[in-house]
Amino acid sequence: MKKLSFFLVLLLSITSLVYAQWEFFEHRYKYKLSDVLKADRFIKKDLYWEGYRNGKVVGYVFLSKELTNDLVGYSGKHMETLIGMDTEGRITGVKVIYHSEPIVLIGLKEDNYKRFIKQYPGKSIKSPLKLGKDISMDAITGATVTAMVQNAIIAGSARKVASKVGILQARVAKKKRKLSTRYVRMTWEELLREGAVKNLRVSYRDLGLKGSEVYLDLYFGLVVPPSIGRNILGQRAYRDIMGRLKEGESAIFVFGRGKGSFKGSGYARGGIFDRFNIEQNNKVFVFRDKDYRIITGIAANGAPDIKEGGVFIVRGKEFDPTMPFKFTLTLPYRVGAKKIFKSFTVEYRLPERFLEE
Amino acid sequence: MSEKSRSDKKGFKRRDFLKIAGVASVAAAGTGVILPKEKIFASSKRGKKGHLSNEVKPGELDAYYGFWSGGHSGEVRIIGVPSMREIKRIPVFNMDVATGWGITNESRKLLKGKYTGDTHHVHGSYKNGTYDGRYLFVNDKLNNRVARIRTDYMEVDAIVEIPNAQGTHGLFPQRYPKTEWVVANSEFQVPVPNDESNAGAFNKPKEYYGLHTIIDAERMSIVCQVMVDENMDLAATDYKGKYSMTTSYNTEKGVTISEMLAADYDYMLIFHWGRIREALRKGKYKWISGVKVIDGRKGHSDIVLRIPVPKNPHGVNISPDGKYAICSGKVSPTCTVVDLDLVDKAFEGKIKPEDCIVAQPEIGLGPLHTTFDGRGNAYTSVFIDSTNVKWNIQKAIEAEKKGPEEKKKKEYIIDVLDIHYQVGHIMASMAETKEADGKWLVSLNKFSKDRFLNAGPYKVENDQLVDISGKKLRLVHDSPAYAEPHDCIIVRRDIIEPRVKDRYNMFEHPLAVVKSGVERKGRNVTIRMTSNAPVYGLQEVTLKKGDRVTLIVTNHDEISDLSHGVAISNYNINFVIAPFQTKSVTFTADKPGVFWVYCTNFCHALHLEMRMRIIVEP
Repeated sequence: MKKLSFFLVLLLSITSLVYAQWEFFEHRYKYKLSDVLKADRFIKKDLYWEGYRNGKVVGYVFLSKELTNDLVGYSGKHMETLIGMDTEGRITGVKVIYHSEPIVLIGLKEDNYKRFIKQYPGKSIKSPLKLGKDISMDAITGATVTAMVQNAIIAGSARKVASKVGILQARVAKKKRKLSTRYVRMTWEELLREGAVKNLRVSYRDLGLKGSEVYLDLYFGLVVPPSIGRNILGQRAYRDIMGRLKEGESAIFVFGRGKGSFKGSGYARGGIFDRFNIEQNNKVFVFRDKDYRIITGIAANGAPDIKEGGVFIVRGKEFDPTMPFKFTLTLPYRVGAKKIFKSFTVEYRLPERFLEE
Repeated sequence: MSEKSRSDKKGFKRRDFLKIAGVASVAAAGTGVILPKEKIFASSKRGKKGHLSNEVKPGELDAYYGFWSGGHSGEVRIIGVPSMREIKRIPVFNMDVATGWGITNESRKLLKGKYTGDTHHVHGSYKNGTYDGRYLFVNDKLNNRVARIRTDYMEVDAIVEIPNAQGTHGLFPQRYPKTEWVVANSEFQVPVPNDESNAGAFNKPKEYYGLHTIIDAERMSIVCQVMVDENMDLAATDYKGKYSMTTSYNTEKGVTISEMLAADYDYMLIFHWGRIREALRKGKYKWISGVKVIDGRKGHSDIVLRIPVPKNPHGVNISPDGKYAICSGKVSPTCTVVDLDLVDKAFEGKIKPEDCIVAQPEIGLGPLHTTFDGRGNAYTSVFIDSTNVKWNIQKAIEAEKKGPEEKKKKEYIIDVLDIHYQVGHIMASMAETKEADGKWLVSLNKFSKDRFLNAGPYKVENDQLVDISGKKLRLVHDSPAYAEPHDCIIVRRDIIEPRVKDRYNMFEHPLAVVKSGVERKGRNVTIRMTSNAPVYGLQEVTLKKGDRVTLIVTNHDEISDLSHGVAISNYNINFVIAPFQTKSVTFTADKPGVFWVYCTNFCHALHLEMRMRIIVEP
């Protein structure tokens, strides 16, 4: 059989003079589909290519731009990634074909970026692919936004394809439920007990550090149901936040106590919160500073004082607050001079009483 | 529920929670300042009545926005209360070389070449007797202007010049039903008009007049002026949208100090808005210097009520319940309490103007201004005694009724606090609204003497923070203030915060640049440039000596707080553009050579590399 290879010519559509100055940071690479999947034939489907070897489907190749283009890195632009995956959901290859992440600013080279990417082949997308757990950040320590977004691009794109081709079970389209609009006054303790507020407690011991105390005591939950949001934020702040949501959008609140911080300082420069994200139905949502409002206290009766807090708007209509989602915290900390990352994931499921019957 | 029992209950609940959660101790968490009003107080664990803490820990936010006038610095300042940290300076009538106010075309259009100013009173726009958080208004006593600051960007968006008037001092917005009018007073009487057409009056002080100017708050234009014989300094409006008022210390029309002090009684003046509207409707005004001037002089009009008060009074402030106007005596040791419910009767001639006075308690030597806690108490700044005096309005009225013996006992005085040193204005939290909350008070003292490290003969002022939540006044904090705030307002955070933006609406500026480029039309060159950290949209521009150049720059960085500077070496130009903001400058390329344009406002790890060349060919 004649070997077909697709040499795709890169497209450079950046005409604006502004971005021309970014050339210094820009990296664009030629690629062919077989770079990420060993196959002798590729057939284009809707959002991916099927890869064939000896007439048999052996996997899928896809471009992140077509799947997770809304995920943008430190540069404010998407890192275009070519990804290969076998029929079991194992990543067979990853190649970043365009990025303008200014990693040079923190003394990193392209080689570091490539080393980070090399970790993916062989990993199954059925595993959580969490940074600091399944994926080490050692190669690009410091470029936390780049790492987090790149990881979300790979995992998000792969899972989207995996659920299309049946490797992952696609969510059965149930009748969409509605959030209850009822307001009932609830105390902090009640909200916690009901599961409207989820708690993630990271101790020094969890991090392998000395100390018997809690390193980070984190609380999060959905803002929109009035019995949660209004009790947590108080009426004025709740009204303010709700006024900022477009139709179909949601928001979460996150509060932290203790020495550790869920906000960190990365968002000051890059505008992206690099320590946490949420994931639902194989889609990762990251948060930007323009969708964040600072909250410095919890209004609910009996709530503890907090060290930091915020409301983060989940933009777009893809997120469904009536369905469960995962909150992942990737916490950097230091052991001596070494920077280490550790990930924690908590599932949030809106309790029945905040849904309409 | 009382404040005390609420905080006790909270403390109990908190321990309960910790028990349930099973955490023995969590590393110290801050005393959060909480958004909802009902929680601001309870959140402070030390916050029992009379023991408020002004500590705002790292990462916490102040509970109040303080807006301070800047005196002859010409600016307005934002101070966080109760931490008293200066958060920002808003250039208003001054030139600010840091941000380019007075340098850019946009600001020069508003300032019209005047870069000195004297801001005394900054007040917010109102709806139903409390702040709506939309605008701030501030006077310029020096060049007779009133500026408006929009709070979403915290910058001046309009300046109106006040013709005919001099010493534009007191300013107050309409409080009810909403701010449609803003009044401003002229403290210096002058000929009207004060130009060559009226030169015959220049040396006839009896033909000098004061003006009560009414400004349309939305359009920032003059509605009319009411001309009176008196001078007027401080201003106030009532809570029913019926009157504006002021005090006059120079009813004598004196031009020297001794002449101004001659009379034993001066006036508090009340302006009847219904009658002003009627005069406007009926055309009872003259056009002078392009504005409608209504004759409000005694014997010429029924628009103004003159209530005699002891010699040379100063501030006039309205109690948050809207019942009383309190006139501070200055040269007299008294405050005059005017019952506003009686004013209509006096206007109708059913009672005499002085019959509106329901009390005249003795407060101390040199009472200047009065503020309120919303619990029926007044706090008066007393200049000569150098004190803040807390007194009860109702008790003063009762003592007045009972007679001189009862007044002598001064039982209406609750507490006296020594301050350091010699207070001018005094302002409590939310005190100029019906929502006065009686938590914090700032005493704007005119001298600091030995309160700060000695920084040379010209010393700063001393703004002292006072806890007024308890029975006694408690001095909490000293903070230095550079020349020279006069007055301030202290506004609850939840009123302002939701309005403030992190980035501009880019296309609100008609010249917003989306594509960089250079356009030449003869000797006129327009440079349009974007900026994205760490690069400008152009790397070089070549000009010819003598070119008239307009440089327009738009910041395309969306990340909050990512502002850029644009400075042109040796061309005396610098300005700052915040996210999505556009500014422009026009200059003549009169010096040949290579001139680096560079970013002055730190923006990026490669901030120093953010520069471009302007080459001016001979």
